[in-house]
Amino acid sequence: MELNWSTFLLEILNFLILLWILKRFLYQPVLDTIANRQAGIEQTLANAQTIKTDAEALQSQYESRLKQWNEERDTARETLRREMAEERERQMLNLQEALAQEKEKARVIDEKERFDTLRKYQEASLELGARFTARLLTHLAGQDLEIRLFDLALRQLDTLPVDRLNAIRMACEETPEEAEVATAFPLKPAHRQQLAEKLSSLLDMPVNCHFVEDSELLAGLCITLGPWVFHANLQAELKSFAESAHEPN
Amino acid sequence: MGNDLNSAQLFAIGQIQVTLTVATTWGIMALLGLLSWISTRKSRTHPSYLQTAVEGIVSSIEAAIANAAPQHSKTLLPFIGTLWVYLALANLIGLVPGLDSPTRDISQTSALAILLFFSVHWFGIRSQGLKNYLRHYLTPSPILLPFHLISEATRTIALAIRLFGNMMSLEMAALLVLMVAGFLAPVPLLMLHVIEALVQAYIFGMLALIYVAGGMQSQDLHQQKEVDKENS
Repeated sequence: MELNWSTFLLEILNFLILLWILKRFLYQPVLDTIANRQAGIEQTLANAQTIKTDAEALQSQYESRLKQWNEERDTARETLRREMAEERERQMLNLQEALAQEKEKARVIDEKERFDTLRKYQEASLELGARFTARLLTHLAGQDLEIRLFDLALRQLDTLPVDRLNAIRMACEETPEEAEVATAFPLKPAHRQQLAEKLSSLLDMPVNCHFVEDSELLAGLCITLGPWVFHANLQAELKSFAESAHEPN
Repeated sequence: MGNDLNSAQLFAIGQIQVTLTVATTWGIMALLGLLSWISTRKSRTHPSYLQTAVEGIVSSIEAAIANAAPQHSKTLLPFIGTLWVYLALANLIGLVPGLDSPTRDISQTSALAILLFFSVHWFGIRSQGLKNYLRHYLTPSPILLPFHLISEATRTIALAIRLFGNMMSLEMAALLVLMVAGFLAPVPLLMLHVIEALVQAYIFGMLALIYVAGGMQSQDLHQQKEVDKENS
């Protein structure tokens, strides 16, 4: 066993060459590859971290927006509930008002119906009463009643208003004609004379009277002078009584 | 396996003798160079099985270096890694019939030891400068300088002798058993050879790492103490 200097030196040289070969073809490429892979992994991790950060930001934003939406929804729901309550209140008031109007209308209609019914009953009663009275007076009418009606006619002639008398007078002056006096029973001459004088004194002009009998008058008289007709008989009174049922109250 | 303690001379170029040890080393160099080129010529981000294996080996070596010298793992990787890879293959090459392990040659182990000797100083000086590096021989006391120098020499000699002695004795024992017991008897001994070869390569590389890292980090510790002193 002895040291071979050639081997010693060549081995030193060999190792240095091997060192260079492995560094050039093994260590450096492998380390570069690992570094690249590590850089890629770190880049991926950084990207993932960025994505995670963005996702968290988005999540936070979405949660904030969701919270805002919930608040807006609650506010809108509260507003809607309040508006619905107000609308319901308004509708209830309108309904109550309409109901009151309907009630009033129904009350008015009912009252009108009752009034019409009452009026119809009144008319029927008056007509019935008029027929009954006419039939009764047909049997009761006589000379005595005729005389009392004659006296009543004379008193009513005395109470005629002046302007009415002037109008009758003017009509007689324009078309002078005789007065037609219809009576249910024949008038006595004295009464005929009294009536003619009464008319002449009222109209301040001579008035010729033409006396006729009309049994339909039942009792009393009817004076027709031009356009003026003066009734003082039962038929006219009963007719007036029956027509009064149709007059408005 | 030869039974001579000196490697056989194959040829000579003038005064330079090319022995079997040197030729075997060339073969190992060629093999390692070819494997390295094949495994790394098409490096991809998504590696193949071969690339994965190579990356695993390199990463493991770097991790082992980082355990001893965390700040200098990239710097020491080529030297320490080459020592481990070369010694593992050189120790195992003796199992091939007709070949001898280069590490059973004292000239070869001495060459590695002397390389390591200079590498310790080279890395130490490159790391902290000549003055700071030489200062550590005087710490903690200049009295210890002779002991530092003796330690440098003896550990270098010990590295060379340890590897040579182990590999030479291992092959010699296997040869003796083969001569005495027959063809199949030394198989368990050859299996022990595999383990021993890997262990010796690991020990040599680890000691080299510790020596180099010690030379670099002794200056780191010294500087750290000075920084702490200035801060206080």
